[in-house]
Amino acid sequence: MEPRTRHFFRSAEKALADHALQVALSRTTAKFLENRAAAVAGYPGFEGARERASRIRQEALDNLDAHLARFLTEARKAGAVVHAARDGREAREIAVGIARDEGVSLAVKGKSMVAEEVGLNGALEAAGIEVVETDLGEYIVQLAGESPSHIIAPAIHKTREEVSRLFEEKLGEPYAEEIGELTRIVRRRLREQFLSAQMGISGANFLCADTGSVVLVTNEGNGRMATTLPRVHLVIAGIDKVIPRLADLPVLLRLIPRSATGQSLSSYVTILTGTRRPGDAEGPEKLHIILLDNGRTGILQGKYREILKCVRCGACLNICPVFQSVGGHAYGWVYPGPLGSVLAPLLLGLPESSPLPDASTLCGACAEVCPVKIPLPEMLVELRADGRAQGLKPPAEVLGMKAYAAMMSRGGILEAFQRIAGVVSQLLFKDGRVRWLPFGLSGWTERRDLPAPAPQPFRKLWKKQRGIRPWKR
Amino acid sequence: METVRPTAELLDRIRAALRGRTAAEPGLPYVSSRERPPERGRQETIDQFRRRFEELGGIFLAGPPEERALQALGETLRIEGVSALFYPEGDPAARAVADALVPFGPFLLVSPADVLRADPPVSAGIQSAEYAIAETGTLVQTSREGRSQLPGLVSDVHVALLSPDRFVEAMEECLGTLSGDPPRNVSLITGPSRTADIELTLTVGVHGPRKVIAVLLGGG
Repeated sequence: MEPRTRHFFRSAEKALADHALQVALSRTTAKFLENRAAAVAGYPGFEGARERASRIRQEALDNLDAHLARFLTEARKAGAVVHAARDGREAREIAVGIARDEGVSLAVKGKSMVAEEVGLNGALEAAGIEVVETDLGEYIVQLAGESPSHIIAPAIHKTREEVSRLFEEKLGEPYAEEIGELTRIVRRRLREQFLSAQMGISGANFLCADTGSVVLVTNEGNGRMATTLPRVHLVIAGIDKVIPRLADLPVLLRLIPRSATGQSLSSYVTILTGTRRPGDAEGPEKLHIILLDNGRTGILQGKYREILKCVRCGACLNICPVFQSVGGHAYGWVYPGPLGSVLAPLLLGLPESSPLPDASTLCGACAEVCPVKIPLPEMLVELRADGRAQGLKPPAEVLGMKAYAAMMSRGGILEAFQRIAGVVSQLLFKDGRVRWLPFGLSGWTERRDLPAPAPQPFRKLWKKQRGIRPWKR
Repeated sequence: METVRPTAELLDRIRAALRGRTAAEPGLPYVSSRERPPERGRQETIDQFRRRFEELGGIFLAGPPEERALQALGETLRIEGVSALFYPEGDPAARAVADALVPFGPFLLVSPADVLRADPPVSAGIQSAEYAIAETGTLVQTSREGRSQLPGLVSDVHVALLSPDRFVEAMEECLGTLSGDPPRNVSLITGPSRTADIELTLTVGVHGPRKVIAVLLGGG
């Protein structure tokens, strides 16, 4: 997927003007938040579990060399072939090589953000291998020739009416606005693909170091089908997915579904260890695991290591006022929302995605909901500073911020400025609103009014009224 | 295919990135303390499972007498439009239940292979579950001793048979027994196959079963 992260502001404007998108977003984001809130309220141990989950993920990263080495040993012992990909190109080459060697012409695929990150489908299709997405949302997005807009609900930007029209147009199915009917169409159509595909492709929610297991957390059952029925199973996962022990799973499993969809547990948790064994009733004969670096070792080294704790639950997306307004596509790449605003610049480089750290009000809600306690707002601020250090901010902004800092850090100058502003304000803005500002500041007043500076600064009012205790009046 | 060199290089890169590590010492074990599950008697554990399971839309049937549970099961399957029953090889309890259900039909006894078709009959897959986790109303099915995943995977209705000794309080108890040398497939099944991908509207029966039924046999 070609990143369009540089164009965030233009894309955001387009998204705000897109009526269908705004309808879809309004139908969904509130539901996400309600479901999560109810699930968290129903689990008194939530806060304690967050702390433990955060420590499990931190420990995995702080000793990633040891844990990943253990994972390699155990997974190989169980029959897996483990590959390492330095970047997206290597991951694509390895995957195409595997598909060719295994004689694959059709692959069924479960949802994987890492596969999106490296553009896996495109590479396999270019090599003549058909890839069918089997997650309902991904299936819709693939039919429409689009990309996912949410990491756990990829087609969240589409209304049911749009999905019905899409199925009518691309599949020749009768228009059926009812969601149950749309789902049945997909079940019927995909069953055949599951049975004839030679390879199933999946991501991984976790890789357990002590057993070499791949853990998948799903709801639809497509992940189980894709990893049970075909002869070959291909896993593609970031190196950050490792957890030290299989026994760490319960803590994480109690948090992720609650944070993601508000379920106390997702419908299916599948723990897969190696290939089919003698006497097994079913399961793939071959298991290939591609471990993707693609910039992650670089992140591990620096001050943003904690972003790799992310378990991709999507809670920070749903709670983010910016995401709620513009949806996922505006962010221009695989990972949207606060998570994406940190991860995309780190994986793609700041010059490629410099607007993203600014796509936040720094309200802090994302950090409050994060099940593994990633300090997202602090990281966004840090990235803004990095952007400035790399000379990516416009000179006017740098100068303005300097002037602002100089003023705000000197009480006298601030007060003088406030008094002048108060006098000017009373003369110019009689109704207390600023309706027009000149070039450079017009971006604000084109869409909304600015409250005019108060006639008297707060500091002055405070001095005057000191001693008055309103609650005793 | 050569895979050892690139993975060794990957580990080298990670080692280099972690040089000057700050938090934990290498290899320092961090034991995740667990919440203590409530101490409960077996019947309370079963009741807790039942509550959670029913919250998820599951149907919990129990004797005694077992005939009544089976009759209720037969009726439910008819209402769900089931026309075919299948059970995996080597599961005598499932076979006995399937046989006992036939009079409540019309149900056709079929093999798992008959369901693995592009246009399968509306089917119920019957299987003895290995564990039932009370905390979340979860059924556990592994590949141990040649057990199949198909009844809870490709059917329209999944019928899980339970006996009182299969119930555990929390996930830890079940994963603890499996973590030493886990079977190739350990599946935790919690409610029906579901999606909310269109407008976040909950819809069941996407690729897997749309209904899950637990039948408690042998007292309880």
